Amino acid sequence: MIRDLFSFRGRATAGTEITIGILTAALVLLLWEVVARAGLVLPQFLPSPTNVLVAMWTMVTTQHLLWHAAVSSIRVWNAFLIAAAMAVPIGILMSSYRIVGAALEPIIDFIRYLPVPALVPLSIIWFGVGEETKIFLLWLGTFFQLVLLVADDMRRVPHEYVEIAFTLGAKPRQILWDVALRAMGPTLVDNLRITLGWCWTYLVIAEIVAADSGLGFVIWSARRYVKTPEVMAGVVVIGLIGLITDQILRALHRRMFRYI
Amino acid sequence: MRWDYLTFDRVTKTFGNVPVVSDTSLSIARSSLVVFLGPSGCGKTTLMRLVGGLDFPTSGTILLEGEAVAGPDRRRGMVFQSYSSFPWLTVAGNIAFGMRYRNDLTTLQRSERVSHYLKLIGLEEFATSYPNRISGGMRQRVAIARSLAAGSDVLLMDEPFGALDALTRERLQVELREIQTKETKTIIFVTHDVEEAVYLADRIIVFSGRPARVLEDIDVTALLGETRALAIRESQEFFKLRNNVLHLIRNETGSE
Repeated sequence: MIRDLFSFRGRATAGTEITIGILTAALVLLLWEVVARAGLVLPQFLPSPTNVLVAMWTMVTTQHLLWHAAVSSIRVWNAFLIAAAMAVPIGILMSSYRIVGAALEPIIDFIRYLPVPALVPLSIIWFGVGEETKIFLLWLGTFFQLVLLVADDMRRVPHEYVEIAFTLGAKPRQILWDVALRAMGPTLVDNLRITLGWCWTYLVIAEIVAADSGLGFVIWSARRYVKTPEVMAGVVVIGLIGLITDQILRALHRRMFRYI
Repeated sequence: MRWDYLTFDRVTKTFGNVPVVSDTSLSIARSSLVVFLGPSGCGKTTLMRLVGGLDFPTSGTILLEGEAVAGPDRRRGMVFQSYSSFPWLTVAGNIAFGMRYRNDLTTLQRSERVSHYLKLIGLEEFATSYPNRISGGMRQRVAIARSLAAGSDVLLMDEPFGALDALTRERLQVELREIQTKETKTIIFVTHDVEEAVYLADRIIVFSGRPARVLEDIDVTALLGETRALAIRESQEFFKLRNNVLHLIRNETGSE
């Protein structure tokens, strides 16, 4: 079994892999703790993991850390759902009808390459510093990427499926719902999961620039007073939320698409 | 026998400047199994797709019972070599999908038809299995059953057994003959495998290299009879016919 782990393209059981993953993470944490405690690095640069944990606990009990996390999560989900609700139908139509694809591809490709931070000033001019700006920036960062991913998923639906459905008497609309959407389901859900992750990246940018709540705001205000443990605690919370959401969505994916 | 069931009337097809099918006229009898045989890429698949209404002739017409084919519908069903069954539906679900766009059937009739075709292809035990859990041969059976359930009169099969191992392939050939006898469907079967063609066909149309034109029209039933036991594959008549057809194709592709 140990040999399998080291053999080229070898296999391992899920249990072994989880154990190895946890052990490695623990080792990194331990190393970090030792380095920090030995004073090899100044604590304002690298506080120990235990310090970060303590800071996190204080923030939860006295500084509404969980409330900030909830605010951020709601922003992410809001923007993500708006982006998805627009990108899925538009992406599917882009690959179904050449007129839609030919019309939109150049515009989308152009906007896709604009870096979101570069559009922050414009966004503030347009929407001020309220919720709209944050949602807009998150939407901007995800919609244009997602729409192309969806278009690609649709393009990859085997043409055989479409032709089979035609010869069973289906109309294009029925093929979209009954065949294409079902055939692209697994990759579509995967792409949605990945895009949701990007939302968190843009969230921090949006909250650093203009916010008085949310995890980005917490991290940024802690930085001002060089409270490194608090900065790290904020980052860790984002990481944890990401990890948990991702695992839940993966489990959902497995349940939805048992037939793969 | 009605020889004018499915007719090709001076059909040509070009893709851009490339002629793929040149001036083909043919008549196919109802409930016969006709094999389109020819070298790879000769245009026989294109010709079959025209019957399905998935592509349109550049000139000429294809008539089914005197009516020009104007597009795909459930009277002419396709069976492909790969992606032939829907992976998100069970075996029974795939067969039922064939009836999804028919509103002339009651719920009871639908489930009766599903059981009927499950039985016909011998997959009752696998009714609730997904395609990834069954073999390639079973998946091709499912595709056939789905078309039959839809009520197709003509089955268009594009090298449907091409990806199967030799033994499975042989079994499916036997079963296809049986299914065709039981369900009396007209089948157009495209292949480049001579042995498969001779065993399966009532009639073989041998096509030239691209652009496809009819080289030879062979009445296999007249030579081998209508019932095809597996043993026929070892008979003198079978060998003779197979060799004749092989020579025809070799001469055509210039590999002799």
